[in-house]
Amino acid sequence: MMNMNDYKNKRVPPDWCPGCGNFAQLSAITMALAELKIDPKDVVVASGIGCSSNMPEFLNTYGFHGLHGRLVPFAAGVKWANSKLTVIAYGGDGDGFFEGTQHFYHTAKRNVDITYMVSDNQVFGLTTGQASPTAPIGLRTKTTPDGNIETPFNPIAFALNAGATFVARAFSGDVKHLKDITVRAIKHKGFSFIDVISPCVTWNKENSYEYFRPRVYHLENNDVTNFDQAYKLAFEWGDHIPIGVFYEVERPTYEDLDEVLRDGPLIEQKVHTLTEEDLEEFA
Amino acid sequence: MTIMRQNEVIIRVAGAAGDGVQSAGEILVRTFARSGLYATSYNYYQDIIRGGESWYQVRASDVKVKNQGDGLDILVALNQDGVERHTNPDINEGGASPLGKDGIAIFDNSIKNYTKRDTNYCPMPLADIAAKYSKNTLLKNTVGLGAAIAASGIDFNIFADVIRDQFGKKGDIAELNVKAAKEGYDYFLANYKPLGKKFKFGKKKYMISGGMAVALGAVAGGLKMYVAYPMTPASSALHFLAQHAKKYGVFVKIPEDEISAINTVIGANYAGVRAMTGSSGGGFALMTEAVGLSGMTEVPLVIYEAQRPGPSTGLPTKTEQGDLNQVLGASQGDFPRIVFAPGDIEEAFYLTREAMNIAEKYQTPVFIMSDLYLAEHYDTIDSFDLNFTIDHGLRAKDNEQDYKRYLITETGISPRAIPGQPGNMHNEDSDEHNEYGDVVSDAVTNPQDRIRMMQKRMRKMDTYIEEMRPTPTYHIEDAEYVIIQWGSTKGTVEEAVDILRSKGIKIGAIEVKNVFPLNPDIGTLLKNKKKIIAVENNYSGQLSKYISAQFLVKPDLITKYDGEAFYPNALADEIEVRIGKKKEVIRE
Repeated sequence: MMNMNDYKNKRVPPDWCPGCGNFAQLSAITMALAELKIDPKDVVVASGIGCSSNMPEFLNTYGFHGLHGRLVPFAAGVKWANSKLTVIAYGGDGDGFFEGTQHFYHTAKRNVDITYMVSDNQVFGLTTGQASPTAPIGLRTKTTPDGNIETPFNPIAFALNAGATFVARAFSGDVKHLKDITVRAIKHKGFSFIDVISPCVTWNKENSYEYFRPRVYHLENNDVTNFDQAYKLAFEWGDHIPIGVFYEVERPTYEDLDEVLRDGPLIEQKVHTLTEEDLEEFA
Repeated sequence: MTIMRQNEVIIRVAGAAGDGVQSAGEILVRTFARSGLYATSYNYYQDIIRGGESWYQVRASDVKVKNQGDGLDILVALNQDGVERHTNPDINEGGASPLGKDGIAIFDNSIKNYTKRDTNYCPMPLADIAAKYSKNTLLKNTVGLGAAIAASGIDFNIFADVIRDQFGKKGDIAELNVKAAKEGYDYFLANYKPLGKKFKFGKKKYMISGGMAVALGAVAGGLKMYVAYPMTPASSALHFLAQHAKKYGVFVKIPEDEISAINTVIGANYAGVRAMTGSSGGGFALMTEAVGLSGMTEVPLVIYEAQRPGPSTGLPTKTEQGDLNQVLGASQGDFPRIVFAPGDIEEAFYLTREAMNIAEKYQTPVFIMSDLYLAEHYDTIDSFDLNFTIDHGLRAKDNEQDYKRYLITETGISPRAIPGQPGNMHNEDSDEHNEYGDVVSDAVTNPQDRIRMMQKRMRKMDTYIEEMRPTPTYHIEDAEYVIIQWGSTKGTVEEAVDILRSKGIKIGAIEVKNVFPLNPDIGTLLKNKKKIIAVENNYSGQLSKYISAQFLVKPDLITKYDGEAFYPNALADEIEVRIGKKKEVIRE
């Protein structure tokens, strides 16, 4: 039997700031993988750049720490190469909602069967606390000394618009719920998106655990197939912040529809050996 | 004056974009190929879908033709401008010679007020014949081609079969085209004299473009995924692969941008599937960050970089070799990379196939550099040698004890484990890392790790240099003068050498096929020459500068950057001037 520690890299302990929300996500990912009994050899965790991006290093799975915002196309490439793998793209809000925005959009639109988890703390952590796309109006940071004046990016509405077939929000202050959502996201066949409210204890003092804890509430009896309702809920923010699954539907994945990929994992498909007969086409 | 050879014919079809110039040209290449002649072609076009001026030149012979050739035997002009432009000795479009006094100009007899020059004008009722068979005015091209086939002395039946294949799925339309072509053919023979060419027809050839050759080479090398954003002139490979995706079992995808393309194929290669991307300079510029990612994480990667003139969007439908600096400088820091520049269709096939193995063996980015001329022109081949063994390089065994992804080795190559493999779980990192793949930039910083990792990675280049094949040469043995050349200028440089040798000048050429790293044998080849001349399709002589720095030589530079390829006679003239055998270039 696997337990969550079997998915952790024993050599490298996490080096995030004490209290960082990323710890909860590390636990949730390892607990979810253990619960689903997925062999660590069959898991790829891909990351971009930022505090979040060290995640693969702390895991005893296959991992890849790539480029800022580019984790999603990388993860799609892995999935398209070997659809038997469980592929998790794990990034940050600065990472995925700035430079990675169009990759997020188009990969969701294609319904590639990967799980995209974003550690969303409204700031750039590793580059010392600049405002990120999800920074609330008025947030004072190094780059917004007079307060942020830009309308925050809405990850849930964006994912819904793009056509993601699983859209959820979780909170690092509620690990059990975060784990449950992660299990559902990994099990979901298609593009799964989880926006994780994950307070940055170092750079974002305004939006702390204490700020979010009384505001978040669990979505209950939500009809996850109701798009209009999900879209409406996506704009609920402030004193009442819903967490849970906003939307989940079945739609054929890109891998199901593509004429080559549907014949099975590319890595198991035979390489075409070019013959004289093939050359006849050029006569 | 260009010498017209009896076993060679050069035909140019000229018209406006949308006139069907390109497909007419392709029909000619295919007809020659099936007739058992070698053919090659040149497409002069503009970045518009309709209008403008374009022409397509086909050169065919019973011996291998290495470039589009200068001189012109037959002109099929689809409009008045085409007649004027290509019979006017004062116009030297892209270096191409206009029709001379022995040449034949075929055009519609409704075109009357053209400037008469010393040429055999052969007006014909192209449109009237076409009108008998179809309302589609493009049919007059077919009638004109029929006449050109008659003038060249090619078997009409072979031409008819090519027409039938072209319109294969359209049934009656194909037969109407054949009948119209036959009338054109007969009309020409009844009214005008053919050129009297004498060919020795051999075995049928295959017709293929450089872009197709790159794509086929990749397939032969085990390609399973091609992800690329469209950009001329790299798109011909993308289109070809998309059309053959099912047949060859290659997953083909246009993603949202070039950045996505390259990161996606890095993902696939990381997961153990051979994947490739391609673009031209502007699109490649977007990929450069990920080139370094491949170098640092040691994920194999093949990139097809098909050049066109820059900077920026430049001349989208023209040719140039101006991206070498960009490819050599792509991405920050030092890391191993290998850059190939095929010189012709065969090399495009073999080098791309080899690149698939080399990328996996050395776990590093490998480039295939082409240009519009090579990528888009059709050429003929007898066949390809299809024997090839896919080599996945050094792989880790399952469940290795204490597996180190970036194990320090003598060769610089570490055994690779891929996801799904039991045991050997590890992290590959774009940050500097130790042998396990753990980041060394912060908590566990160790300068020794950085130094050892840099040295390990760069050692791959030394290992590669040892296994490089000798630099290809052309008549170098007794050469007093030597030309340095890379990529698609190969065939033209070789013909210029032939022209100069026929005048008793001892000259040879070396082809820099491994553009990076340079083969050390180039230093030896360049020793004790009276003069070294670099021929490049760019402004500054990018390769020449690089060779100068490496081998401490000072080549004289012949460059061309008007967007067109070199022409053999013009190049030979220029070389003759540079070596002091001729005072100045006099062009007729």
